[in-house]
Parts: sequence; C-alpha cells; structure tokens
Amino acid sequence: MEYLEQLLNTFETYNTNNALCINETFYTYNDLKSEVLKICYSIENDIEYSQKNIGLITNNDIYTYAAIIALWLEGKAYVPISPDSPMDRNCEILKNAKTKYILDSTDNNNYVDFFNVINITNLKLTKKDLNSRSSNINDIAYILFTSGSTGIPKGVQITFSNLNSLIKAMHFEKKHKILPNDKCLQMFELTFDYSLVTFLYPLLFGACIYTIPKNQIKYLYVYKLIQKFELTYLVLTSSIITYLRPYFKEINAKKIRYCCFGAAPLDLNLALEWKKCIPNAKLFNSYGPTEFTVTTTYYSFENVKVVKTKNGIVALGKVMNNIDAVIINENNEILGTDKEGELCLSGNQLTIGYWNNDKENKKSFINIKTNGSTKKFYKTGDLCTIDKDKDIMFIGRKDFQVKIRGYRVELGEIEYHIKCFTTNINIAIIDVNDNNGNNEIALVIEKEEHDTTALFNYLQTKVPNYMMPTKTHFLDQLPHNINGKLDRKELKNWIKNTYK
Amino acid sequence: MTKEAILENVNKSFTKILEHSNFELNENTTANDVDGWESITHMMIITEIENTFNIKFKLMDLMNMDNIGDLITTIEKEIK
Repeated sequence: MEYLEQLLNTFETYNTNNALCINETFYTYNDLKSEVLKICYSIENDIEYSQKNIGLITNNDIYTYAAIIALWLEGKAYVPISPDSPMDRNCEILKNAKTKYILDSTDNNNYVDFFNVINITNLKLTKKDLNSRSSNINDIAYILFTSGSTGIPKGVQITFSNLNSLIKAMHFEKKHKILPNDKCLQMFELTFDYSLVTFLYPLLFGACIYTIPKNQIKYLYVYKLIQKFELTYLVLTSSIITYLRPYFKEINAKKIRYCCFGAAPLDLNLALEWKKCIPNAKLFNSYGPTEFTVTTTYYSFENVKVVKTKNGIVALGKVMNNIDAVIINENNEILGTDKEGELCLSGNQLTIGYWNNDKENKKSFINIKTNGSTKKFYKTGDLCTIDKDKDIMFIGRKDFQVKIRGYRVELGEIEYHIKCFTTNINIAIIDVNDNNGNNEIALVIEKEEHDTTALFNYLQTKVPNYMMPTKTHFLDQLPHNINGKLDRKELKNWIKNTYK
Repeated sequence: MTKEAILENVNKSFTKILEHSNFELNENTTANDVDGWESITHMMIITEIENTFNIKFKLMDLMNMDNIGDLITTIEKEIK
C-alpha cells in the first residue's frame, strides 16, 4: 500500500522532526511512532481479526492520530465519531457500521454498555517494529458518515486504493508539494474528510501539523497559530476568513507560502482581500465530494489575469490527473461546453459506494459512456458548467444539501427529527445567509409564537451542533408555490427581510 | 467603571446574543463552559460588547483572550 509505505519511510527519515503540535505541545515522529506501535499491539491482541470497522472517538490528541495510522497498518477501517455529537446519533452510526470495538483516548464511559471500548492512552505493551500487515488495497480505510436527507446518516466507504489514488493525483500536481520544514494547519474535525489532506498529506513529507483545541474559538486560534508559530501551509474553509475579515488590515502573514480553500463556495472579493494579508502565498481553491475521496479539482490564482468566477463564486478549477468530469442533464445525457447541469465524476478516487445502502447507491451512481468506454460515475448533486479550458464553475445545489461552516448538511435530516417531535405542525428548515456572509440554519414554525425549549433540547440529542437552527421564526402560514410545494425562495426572502 | 459593572454588561451581551442565560460568567469561564458560545456567536458577542462600551478590539487582543477574565482586562484597558 503505497501511501502507507511512504508514511513508514517518513517515520524513519524524519524521526526527530516535529510531527504534531497539539495544545502548543510538540510531538516528534518518534513520539508518534511509539504510540502507533502500542496501538498496533493492542489491535492485534485485543480485537478479533475478523472485525474490520473500528470506531474512533476523534479527540484532539496524539493518541487519536496514532490510532488512525495503527488501524491502517493493521488493515482496518476507522469510523470517526465526534465526542461533541449526540450519543444517539453516534450509536446509530456505529451500529449501522457493524462496529463492535471503539478506540478512545478519554475515560468517558458512555459507550461501554454497547461496545468494547479500548482506552488507547495507557497501553503498556508494544510492537517492536512498524510494518504494514499486507492487506487488500480494496479493503476499506475509513467510513465517514455524512448527513442523510431521510434522517439517517449515510456512510461513505473509502478504500486504501482510493486513498492511494488521491495521494498520487496530489503528488502529480507539484504545486501542492509539502516540504519537511513546513508548518501546516490542521483545522478540520477528523469526522470531516478534508482532514485527510490536512493531517495525512503533511505527515507523508515529514512536516508538522498544528491542530485546533476543542475549547477554542476556531478562527481566532487559527490566527494565533499563524502568528505565534509562523505557519507556512494552510488548507482552510472560507468561513474562517469571513470571521477574520474585519481585522484583515492587522494581518500581514509573510511566512505563509501556500493557501488553499475548500469545503465551501469561495467568494471572489473575500479571496482577493485575504490575498493581501498573505503576500507571499500561492492561492488555490479546491473542490471534492466525500464520495470522491476528499479532493477532485484545484483552481490556481497564479498567472491568471482575471480570476474566473460565476455569480461572484471562484471557479472550482480543473480535475486532477486521471479523473473524468462530465455535466449531464436530467436524462443523463452529457452536455457540451458552458451548459449547466449536474457534475458527475469518475476515476480511481470514486467510492465503492455507501455502506449498506442500496437505495442511495442506485440513486447516486450511474454508468455513462464517454470517449468510447462506459464508466461508473458519481452524481454529485452539484449544478456546474465546464468551460472551454475545462475549468468547472459552481452554480448551486440540485437538492437541499447545504454547507454550514464547511459541513455538509441535508436540511431533510433536521426536518425529519423536528417532525418526529412536533407532530401535526408544519415546519420548514431553511439555510439563510446572515449579515456576515455565513450560511446558518433557520427553523420556521407554522404556528403562533411559543416556547421551543423542549424541542431544542430534543433536537440537541439527535443532531450535531452545526446542524442546530440558530434562528426560529413563527408564521401563520408557510408560503407554497402553485404546485403546493414549499416556496423556499419566498421563505428565504421573508427571513432575509426580518433580519434587516 | 468597576470590574463588576463591566462583567454585568458583558453578561447582558452574552444573554442577548446567545438568547439564553443558562450560564454564570466569572473570570475563569471559557467558551467550553457556555452553551452556544462558538465562532459565530463569539463574533456577534464581540461586536455587541464593542457597541456597548464604544470601543474597538484589536485582533491581537482577541487572539490572546482565553477566558472572561482576559476579556474584562482588555475592556478595562480600552475604556481608559
């Protein structure tokens, strides 16, 4: 397994380099290796060989990062579980993934009644040497559960082969290369697939990653890391920069040499203003659905006279090496240059499918004939165009999936849980742009104003924090269009006006 | 303005933005201790406090605020 081999080489070559900076404490590659060896020993001795999908509580510490590497070396998949998400949702995910074992670096006993929990902080026995248990490259490396429109999260399975293809494609584009002395930001939760690019990729080059402690205000801590530790390599979501925007005049981060945005549409003006804060950095935008292993396209701001945009949103750019992208219409026919339709992706980064979910698999993957051969494509749900230079432009979503602080959220999942609680009341969940240019979730209830504490207390046990509505509105009647469907556009306008 | 008076006003800003008062602010309180205190609400609370005290925080000050105690010290410094 190529990327794992490269990781093992890094542990040898850069053993005294810093690998992690967590809570301002540095850990070398040797420190990380020592934890990996102990966890490998535990996996080999405490977990049945037949058990492939292992739950991992994603704490911000060396043990959690070591556990991912150890699980891979032992040929197992990690199923990341956020300690901040509701227990109900987490248990549902773990049971769905047929997980029997969970690795945790805290003494939290929440899961011991349902799963075998292995505490990975006090392991005494250790393996002697790091090696990769030769497993099949088609085995699963991780399953990430993303928001599902029917109320149940969907598990995206990514294989070792998918990950190898991602790393190969990134290597192919020399401009993303990381140097052993780079200081790289890792701002993503490990339940979020962008973390693969921000923790695994730097570790393949002997660089150091800087994480965000859970109790910190993220955008301020990102700035603190940039300022105090002189970070050089940033991959981040635009929401971080939106929050910092009022203070751009105070930022002059000359050490940053690389800055790539991802996980949400990027506003051109915001990007250009930010560029002045990082005068020596090469700037990129990137895009990729979880189903296509983290990253699919890059758009470079270098050597372009005019940055390509559509409705003020920066182009997603060109697909990486060995990826096919086509735009299709509702009859699954391929459309030509500049024609708007659904973006479909094919290549070795394509997931083998959703875990245990035939219905979604039938809906989301199709065979399309291109250049004389038929290939399996993923229907992204993203409405895009491809221009004559093969640059992909983002227009909007085909469905009700929205991005909240970079997270993929199906409005239907929130609606589902609210409807379970408030029967016989019409409600709508709407994404609204607040005054600061951020997407937030609003709940509209078709009833006179009343206390919603009980509803919110219930919802808090069902969905993660970022899926909680931040505004609640009451309306005598929800607007509907002539087909009797909820008129989301009208509702959005109404909410927008009430914010004024 | 006394520290107590500053804290009282800070408390009001938190309650207004977070739309609840299920918290007790003291010098050691951090974002971890208060429901809903995160990036987006932090930004709104800061703006609310700036308007209340008619001050403007610097990014460097915000960066070094680890708890309510730090926030109050910075406000004291700014209103002098």
